[in-house]
Amino acid sequence: MLSGAFRERLFEAWVEIRENLGRSSLQAIGVILGVASVLGGFSISDSQRRRADERWMKLGGMDRLMVQQATAVKDGTPTALQNANLGLRNEDALEGGGLDTKSLDGVSQQKRVRARVRSAHADQDRPVTGIDGDYLPLNGYGVEKGRAFSAEELSEGRAVALLGAEAAATFFPTGDPVGQTIRVGDVPVTVVGIFGEKIFRWRDNQGNQFAWRNRVICLPASLVARRMNGDKWQRVDTVSFRIRDLSVMEKFSEGLGALLRGNHRQQEDFRMDDIAKRVRKRQSQGDVYNIIFMLSGILSLIGGGMVNVNIQMATLKDRVREVGVKMAIGASGREIFKGFMTEALLVTGLGSAVGLLGGVLFSKFITSFLEIPLFMKPASFAWAFFLATAFGFVFALYPAWKASRLSPMEALRYE
Amino acid sequence: MQNIIETRGLEKTFGSNGTAVHALRGIDLTVARGEFVALVGPSGSGKSTLMAIIGCLDSPTGGTYALDGVSVERLSGAALARTRNEKIGFVFQSYNLLPKASIVRNVELPLLYAGLGRKERRRRALELLEKVGIPEKANVLPAVLSGGQRQRVAIARALANTPALLLADEPTGALDSKTGEEVLGLFKELHRQGNTVVLVTHDPHIAALAERKVELRDGLVVTPEQQAA
Repeated sequence: MLSGAFRERLFEAWVEIRENLGRSSLQAIGVILGVASVLGGFSISDSQRRRADERWMKLGGMDRLMVQQATAVKDGTPTALQNANLGLRNEDALEGGGLDTKSLDGVSQQKRVRARVRSAHADQDRPVTGIDGDYLPLNGYGVEKGRAFSAEELSEGRAVALLGAEAAATFFPTGDPVGQTIRVGDVPVTVVGIFGEKIFRWRDNQGNQFAWRNRVICLPASLVARRMNGDKWQRVDTVSFRIRDLSVMEKFSEGLGALLRGNHRQQEDFRMDDIAKRVRKRQSQGDVYNIIFMLSGILSLIGGGMVNVNIQMATLKDRVREVGVKMAIGASGREIFKGFMTEALLVTGLGSAVGLLGGVLFSKFITSFLEIPLFMKPASFAWAFFLATAFGFVFALYPAWKASRLSPMEALRYE
Repeated sequence: MQNIIETRGLEKTFGSNGTAVHALRGIDLTVARGEFVALVGPSGSGKSTLMAIIGCLDSPTGGTYALDGVSVERLSGAALARTRNEKIGFVFQSYNLLPKASIVRNVELPLLYAGLGRKERRRRALELLEKVGIPEKANVLPAVLSGGQRQRVAIARALANTPALLLADEPTGALDSKTGEEVLGLFKELHRQGNTVVLVTHDPHIAALAERKVELRDGLVVTPEQQAA
């Protein structure tokens, strides 16, 4: 419950604002712009990030650690040791998978190859992916028709294939592709399943950014290694691990790094890519925008604050007598000070409310223009409100102090 | 009987050494409880300055002043504000009502500063408006009232905290003679009820209504002998 004196001050401040609507609106403009700019800025960049996160989730989540082949030598001639290094192999995936079975939620490997793919309807040169382990869940694929590979098909390298939606439509424009045969290079393989169509658009009017994901043709990695692009070291192109608990990610990637360096004769011929880290890094770039938005908001609040000080000082002249009367009937300087502060803060509060509304509309407008869904965090509202109040308070101090220091006698005689 | 006002050698000097103006040069003034005193004098005689000091709106530069038995010449600004609130009721020539506040709120204001609760304030304010004869105007703004009515509101406000001293500065100066009479009648009535009234005026007819007349000239109280002269 509000204390009586405060409620009275609030009421008086409200009367003062209502009676001087024009002046009060002018005073509120700086606050409105500042709050709208902070809230709008934060919300737009939050919406953008949320969109980016959604994309990663659709790609199979952010909780992944990917290991890729890399060249050990950046420049110059590789040494004999570097030449003899064996690259990323099947055993890296197996040993890495055994490293920390408790926190590990999935391991997959990929072996890529380009091959001529033929069916009765089409004949194209296509990238083909040899997959193993938990490739499908780790990359966000779901089988829509037919079935996924069985463990036996993966381990024995059977001649089976999974097609992306676009690939299925290209090679089998009519009829059910499941059960049909395609030739990948020289190998006839049976289609056992079709992936659901993957769609992602940054904006509604954009093309499908995931079109490439509908073009995939997946075979068991062991089949690719044995019949298309294998060597005795069983090299692979990518190994991915899923670690659900991001807090142990760091520890796991250290352990994995040590293991892989050991396997690779201490050569850094692999690159570890922590998706969550990459996303965080991108988000920290987004922070720069937040700071810019906040700064522009603060500048507007400062500008508005200056205007407020000026207006307050000018109106103080008209109100000297009122202050004198209040003092004569018993208001202390402190009481006068509190009255002026209450009024300024009420203007700030009302301005903030309008500003928050403005910020919501502003963000709605911009995000609808960008055609991304709007996402607003309560923290953005809190920040905008806090900044406005803090600046409102600071800039209210001087006029209020000035008013409170008036001599009652001189104030009463003021004409 | 206890004295409400008791000053000894009260001095007030404005400005610094070179350009100093001695507004009061040693005033000895005593007003007993229940008295009706008129403070008269030509402009520049120092009566406004004396009124400001008696009203605790200003502090003297020399001498002593006890209000209702309490020495006030060394009090801080906040303490003076409290003293004004509790012990003094001001009535001004130009009413000095707050234009944006309703009549009843104007009367409530001293009670608010005194820390009274809302219901108590409202009850007391309505009672006071009844007392000055305009209970039906409680919720209107000062602008719609006539001068006489406004001055009645100002008197109600002055009486809010049952002050020890009612201090009126030319209370009829802005009124026509008929309403002036009515307002002065109200002061007389208040005096009859036991209030101490100090009335500042330059009008000898008004001063004649008081029990006692204190005349100021050049910052000093004019003694009865001088008056006779």
